[in-house]
Amino acid sequence: MNNPVLENIRRSLGRTAPTSPSPRPAIYPPRQAESTEAEIVRSLEEVRKLSGVAQTIHADTVPDALKTLVAEQNIKKATAWNTPNLQQLQITHHLASLGVELVSPNAGKHDLALCDLGITEADYLLPETGTLVLKSSAEKPRAVSLLPRVHLAIVRPGQLRPDLHQVFDEARHDPYLVFITGPSRTADIELTVTLGVHGPKSLYVWMLEEV
Amino acid sequence: MSETPTYIGFETYTEHIPPSIPAAVQQATGRFVGGRAARVAELPHFEQLRQIASDIRLHTIENLDFYLERLAEQVTAAGGHVHWAATAEDARQIVLDLARRHNVHLVVKSKSMATEEIALNHALEAAGIEALETDLGEYIIQLAGTGPSHIIVPAVHLTKEEIAAIFSEKLGIEAPADPVELTRIARQVLREKFLRAEMGISGANFLVAETGTLVMVTNEGNGRMCTTLPDLHVAVVGIDKVIPDWDSLTVFLKLLARSATGQKLSTYTQFITGPRRAESEFGPREFHLVLLDNGRSNVLRDPLGRQVFKCIRCGACANVCPVYKNVGGFAYGWFISGPIGAIFAPQMLGTPVARELPYASTLCGACAEVCPVKIPIPAILRHLRRRVAEGDSLAPATMPAPIRAVAKLSAFALAQHWIYRLGARILPLVMSIFRRGDWIPSAPYPLSRWTKARPLPPFTAGFRQWWQKRKTGL
Repeated sequence: MNNPVLENIRRSLGRTAPTSPSPRPAIYPPRQAESTEAEIVRSLEEVRKLSGVAQTIHADTVPDALKTLVAEQNIKKATAWNTPNLQQLQITHHLASLGVELVSPNAGKHDLALCDLGITEADYLLPETGTLVLKSSAEKPRAVSLLPRVHLAIVRPGQLRPDLHQVFDEARHDPYLVFITGPSRTADIELTVTLGVHGPKSLYVWMLEEV
Repeated sequence: MSETPTYIGFETYTEHIPPSIPAAVQQATGRFVGGRAARVAELPHFEQLRQIASDIRLHTIENLDFYLERLAEQVTAAGGHVHWAATAEDARQIVLDLARRHNVHLVVKSKSMATEEIALNHALEAAGIEALETDLGEYIIQLAGTGPSHIIVPAVHLTKEEIAAIFSEKLGIEAPADPVELTRIARQVLREKFLRAEMGISGANFLVAETGTLVMVTNEGNGRMCTTLPDLHVAVVGIDKVIPDWDSLTVFLKLLARSATGQKLSTYTQFITGPRRAESEFGPREFHLVLLDNGRSNVLRDPLGRQVFKCIRCGACANVCPVYKNVGGFAYGWFISGPIGAIFAPQMLGTPVARELPYASTLCGACAEVCPVKIPIPAILRHLRRRVAEGDSLAPATMPAPIRAVAKLSAFALAQHWIYRLGARILPLVMSIFRRGDWIPSAPYPLSRWTKARPLPPFTAGFRQWWQKRKTGL
């Protein structure tokens, strides 16, 4: 196939035909994981440094934690991913009993935009930066972590990965990934840091520890 | 400002800089320099990461054809569409055709240098399509009708009072001079646009050849909105943005935010491989990647100059540049400013258009010290000064022939010590012809250009003699 751009690149690089490159220079090795406890502490600390709210919870403290969140953020309408983990925690059931109206995560964008709270779970968590890694699928719509003004992500210790390397090894063939490191922020007006310019204003990260 | 310039008058511009510009710019650069330093101090292997990043970028540039071909294959395999744009005009046409074909009325844009480069907004507006910048700073300067003064915080030259006035005038609302309240207004106005737009346009920070993945970094979330809500996502990206694989990303993602804003990672990093797979997951139904050449493939001919393409657009070089800090972004006359702009524009636009920019530097070297991919900016600046003076394959020399001849002769003579010594003996004799007392009040051309303004001190002794005398004197 004739491609003038590629041909001109080859001409400029002094080649007439495509060549296979030598191996790419080696990368830097990943950081070593500390103990699970230390990694959890570190992750939650990093989220807090970025004005996120981070805490550890247990399956039986979920209802209380939700109650506090709903009151704190004045949640009227919410949506949540349809994943087995979240179903097992009966998140939507607890929210409904708190009088919160539930919207399907597969509802249209206009409906999701009216939600106060979007609940997801993180597929991975990076301790060094407090970064949540979320995949995307019909059960895990992207807009749930984006359109509502509050985002709650539930994560388990098993999702901790020491560095980007391990996340990429597992997820590089996923069609979509998003890293979330703190709530949406800007400093575009007089360098004043303001949260929630387009994405969620508030980010909650709950580390679900097994009893 | 966003149109392709025909001449960049850096010096003329710097004669009329309002004092508010350097003040605001220095506030921003001071913040980012401090943040970067703190992040670098935390990472003991930062220097090694820089070296690896530099090696990978150089490797990619030298094999650009290979990685671009691989990228295009992978994007297509993932269900995306690849368009090759040799020129800015080609790129504009591709985007306009897509917009027309999909009956697009409103486009939401995430900050993208490539679309600035091709002046896409003007083309869309001329075609009757509303194109809205959605990064808060970009939105403000779009409303204000000015260009960016800083790569990361483009509206930093405007005060909150000025922004409030712009919002009140353009949006027809009562806007208070309060950053939080102004941000809330922008959120409200733009949210409605995000939900309504039929097309999202973005750039990319990296393109991963291995899987055809577009990597995009934002803090506000506008980039996610533009690539999640509209049915059509068009990314316009320079061909220099490709990297080999995900392993390389581990290096660049660690360097980018730390070097740019002093964050460990920006708030949102998206990895997009093709369009959505299921309708209910959100994301675009169609994904188009426009690969923009626009002269880059010609720049590759210069083995030193092409290192400009190692750039990952962090802006660290501008933040430390004493010239940039005093003139701000506008002075560089195109979409990319600071030291990197001074080596990018002359190569992309040709030395006749941007011949002042290689001189817009003190060659202090601060930029090269902070560059996360080790671009030898001062060396390229000196190289480009030579290209400006002596001419290059694209343009004739701007320095007159006699001066070039004298420079060549001096270069030769200074390299031969016997000529140098001979000259040092002859020169005082020659000078004595013009000497009047302790000074030379007027000398023949070209030295007359000096003596017109002030007398010239005569050479009294060669350096060697002076040195000898000084040593024995001690």
